[in-house]
Amino acid sequence: MDRRSFLALSIAAAAWPELSKANVPVPYDWTANPPMDDRTKFIDWMVTNRGEDPDFLGQRYDRFLSLIANKDIWNDRNKRAYLMTPREEFVTAANLSRAYQVHFLDIGFGVTITGPHSVARMTNTIDPQMGERVLEVGTGSGYQSAYLSNLTDQVFSIEIVQKLYERTGGIYEALIAKGYSEYSAITRKNDDGYYGWEEHAPFDKIIVTCGIDHVPPPLLQQLKPDGVMVIPVGPPGAQHVLKVVKQEGADGKFTVARSDIYHGSIVNFVPFTKLERGKIVGTHSN
Amino acid sequence: MTKPAVAEPLPYGLRLYGAVGTLAGAVIALQIAVMRVFAVGSWSHFGSLVVSLAMLGFGMASVLIFLLKGWLDRHGIDCASVALALFGPLAVGTNLVAQLVPFNAIFLISDPMQKWRLLANFLLYLLPFLSGAFFLGIVFRQGKEHFNRLYFADLMGSGLAGLAILGALYVLPPEKLLVAPLVLWAVALVLWMGAAQVRKVSAALVGAGLVLAGYLMLPAALGVPDIAVSPYKGVSYARNFPDAKRLYRSISPFGDLQVYSSSYMHFAPGLSDNAAFNVPELPANTYVGMFIDGEGPSGIMRPLPPEDAAYYQYLPMYYPYVVKPQAKVFVVQFGGGLSAMTALNAGASSVTIAEGNPEVLRAFRSPELAEATGNILADPRVKEVGYDGRLYLAHTDERYDVIDLSLADSVGLSNPGGFAIAEKYAYTQQALQSYINGLAEGGVLSVTLWNKEEPPKSVLRFYATMAKAAQAAGGDWAKSLFVSESYLSTTTVLYKKGGFTDADLAALRQHTADLSFDEVYSPGIPFDPASAKGILEQYQASIFADGPATDAAPTGDATTSGDGISDAPTEGTQTAVPSTTLARLVWQGLVQGGSADVTPRYVFDIQPLTDDRPYFAGYIRPADLLRTLDRLDTLQDDWGYLLLWATFAVACLAAAALILPPMMFGGRNRIGGGKLAIILYFGCLGLGYITVEVGLINWFTRALTNPTIAASIVLSGMLVFSGLGSWVAEKIKSADRMLPVLIAAVAFSLGAMTLALPAVLETIGALPYLGRIVSCLALVAPVAFLMGFPMATAMNGLAARGRDQMFVWAWGINGSFSVIGAAAVPLIAVSFGLGAVLEVAAVAYALAILAFLSMRQAR
Repeated sequence: MDRRSFLALSIAAAAWPELSKANVPVPYDWTANPPMDDRTKFIDWMVTNRGEDPDFLGQRYDRFLSLIANKDIWNDRNKRAYLMTPREEFVTAANLSRAYQVHFLDIGFGVTITGPHSVARMTNTIDPQMGERVLEVGTGSGYQSAYLSNLTDQVFSIEIVQKLYERTGGIYEALIAKGYSEYSAITRKNDDGYYGWEEHAPFDKIIVTCGIDHVPPPLLQQLKPDGVMVIPVGPPGAQHVLKVVKQEGADGKFTVARSDIYHGSIVNFVPFTKLERGKIVGTHSN
Repeated sequence: MTKPAVAEPLPYGLRLYGAVGTLAGAVIALQIAVMRVFAVGSWSHFGSLVVSLAMLGFGMASVLIFLLKGWLDRHGIDCASVALALFGPLAVGTNLVAQLVPFNAIFLISDPMQKWRLLANFLLYLLPFLSGAFFLGIVFRQGKEHFNRLYFADLMGSGLAGLAILGALYVLPPEKLLVAPLVLWAVALVLWMGAAQVRKVSAALVGAGLVLAGYLMLPAALGVPDIAVSPYKGVSYARNFPDAKRLYRSISPFGDLQVYSSSYMHFAPGLSDNAAFNVPELPANTYVGMFIDGEGPSGIMRPLPPEDAAYYQYLPMYYPYVVKPQAKVFVVQFGGGLSAMTALNAGASSVTIAEGNPEVLRAFRSPELAEATGNILADPRVKEVGYDGRLYLAHTDERYDVIDLSLADSVGLSNPGGFAIAEKYAYTQQALQSYINGLAEGGVLSVTLWNKEEPPKSVLRFYATMAKAAQAAGGDWAKSLFVSESYLSTTTVLYKKGGFTDADLAALRQHTADLSFDEVYSPGIPFDPASAKGILEQYQASIFADGPATDAAPTGDATTSGDGISDAPTEGTQTAVPSTTLARLVWQGLVQGGSADVTPRYVFDIQPLTDDRPYFAGYIRPADLLRTLDRLDTLQDDWGYLLLWATFAVACLAAAALILPPMMFGGRNRIGGGKLAIILYFGCLGLGYITVEVGLINWFTRALTNPTIAASIVLSGMLVFSGLGSWVAEKIKSADRMLPVLIAAVAFSLGAMTLALPAVLETIGALPYLGRIVSCLALVAPVAFLMGFPMATAMNGLAARGRDQMFVWAWGINGSFSVIGAAAVPLIAVSFGLGAVLEVAAVAYALAILAFLSMRQAR
């Protein structure tokens, strides 16, 4: 290992939060739903059933209200998936206090953990159903796959950076050991995601979380007819998420329809909702 | 008037002037070296910010000297020695520490630590500049009776160092570039000490040697990177790939060019999604990636076997060959060679390629890359033009069937603020007119740009530019255009000399359908204004409305699961996405003109690019600037421009903080009222000089095609000729009396240059490169020579009248206003044009005349 890599790895290891914040007292149950209409009830339920930190749970619930207000999440299955995923476990120690802020955050290796609004909207856009095969290209922090594993038991994820693949693997292992058994459904490999994962294809949904100058043809080939792919375009900070639908014509020919995950609406790209302890109190400018 | 205390005498002689010249040179060299460190490590804009603010060191030094006046009378020489001795160690030490506190622009808003890291970088790099300025300030003060000669040495040294660093850029990689200022500093130290004793000279030599060795060896010894390269730079990703291998590297003023190979690299800029279902999978290891200053990659592709050649048809740069097969082709910017490769595969009879960066062509010819490039330059159909394509087309009699400019400035047009203030002379209205003139009858100009912005900005600005150029070409120009976009991918604009035929249009429409691209404009395209109703207002609201989004929610379709809301209401009845509708509306307006033109009503400034205003930047209208402060997240791709405003504001505040204290405090040394004329005079000189300097760099980039070379030539030329001017000023006894006339001549010359430069630079662009450099120097010489007079003569006047405190203060004012001017130039250029920059300078000099007359009256 060269010096630079060693240094990067050491800093990353030192910066990683302790993996002891969660301790799951009740086994994972697909039918169990946390209360969604009250902050206190949500926190109490999660502490009882998931053993998570009440402070982070409060932040998670506040962001949840913001997601709903901005219409980045719109069905109960997705709402549940968001609420059941402990984002704080997937950010670096340096960013722990900002885990539930709107921004994307640095996780090292030139990779970010996507902001909660984008994750919610991208995921709800592909809306994986139970049993559907979902491919994620770019495991990164592991948050997106963890979120997906609350929607389907067929999650496949590829990470190109070996050290990041290994680090995220360690996080999953530790969380599974603590009782997050749903993450066992995530099948991962360290490889070039450009070529998809032929062995497990075709996929119902594909979610790409790394930038590229074109949609990789192998991914379009491995997408089922009428399958949906979401893929961010542009550099970090100025990204827009493209939605791609593979369509089969009457003549058997495939075409692709491009749109964005905002359904063709022109919207504020940054949520302006201001929250205080579970209540929407206004916008940034008043 | 109080007679000043007698300061310690300076050891006059050639060694002193040599020490001043070489240290001034070291300061300039350090500026350029630090900017290169930032360009390679993170983002060049922050380099400019840090360096321009670090130059406030000159203002700070003057305040310090002013406050320590009495003490410096006794210890000035020793102090100068210490300041000089510290320059080298500080340059090395602060650069090393700065690598430990790298900051990342993209997290400036989300991570509060980032702004402290930026501040730390600024304070660190300020230190060596402060010590250098302190040395020069003391020497100027102690030797004020010989100000002209010292000033001459200062300017000559700076000027010649500008040329020296240009040479150093060919031999020293960015991570070793500080060697250049360190060597100059070592020479200055030895010359300075040489005026004392042999023992001191030996100590200086040993010390300098240790500092140099420390610079070269400490990073490895301490495990600190030479340059902390951001993990978000393109080259960092390439290095992360398990099988990444660097095939090639060249260093030059044209940048640090590196080529990496990896099986993980995949390039197909703008590839149609339909390629996935119609083209066999490309073989692995088809590409290598080229990075310049860590930015990129530009994909270099090996030639494909015939069975895979269909791949090219799914790239946007294939468009012109749909109507012009077997063409005689001109590629305006070669880049990674994909356009040339596409042309060859489309059956081009010949492909002439131009490339403004000679190092790119050298890389393509190198044996290391022969396999990766398939020796494309050796293809008998390929002809090389070793310089800028626009300049070539403006002066050749050759005519082409296809002229292509595709994704050439890929970085500049797709990265957030990446090159916000870079002049894009290849995309201006005048450039497009040159391309159109270079077309044979029936020839096609094809320009492809990235279309990755939402709301769109650069593509709309380009559409407005293209429409102007087509209009200027005359005829029924609206029948000569065809525009096609791929959402969040690319846009291609075609212009056909003589207009498209129906058969052409049918073929282009079929091709567009085959690619699943969207036709945005063509002669006779149906357009329903109702489809675009309210779209301008919606885009306005998308940036400036308050409150949460109200219309982003999916609606409809009760058949779906969950709470009955579907995420895909439009599927099956696919309509155009808003940006495509907007683009159609914009084109209709451009073609119809008059009140139909919607460009003035769009949320962003999308005025055409011209040679006077050649920027894909500054989209936010100045009137909207304050409204952006609470929504910077939405404008990250315009941060480069916003940063300019921030730099300007900080420079103004810092300058005020440096100029005002001597007026308000300072005990008996306090500078009393009635000194506005002095502030105005030296402020105008500082502002005027730097404005001309930076403005001319931008102008001359057009003829010299490279900003680094233009900067070196202009800086060196101006400083050397101004140095000569200040030297001559001392010889002319009546200089003081003649000064108003001389300054008026400066103002007049600048006004004349504003009018003449466009045509003159166009002519110079046709000369061989050396001829261009000499011509640019000749253009600079007269005005720079005259600009050497006002500062030297007035400072001499202050010294002669024994106005000691004024002398140092005036020097500080001049330095502080230089910083303001440097920050203002890009803002003036982006908002009002390059011509306005020289006009501002002319006005500053005109004001200086009034101030001078007022100063003379007050004596």
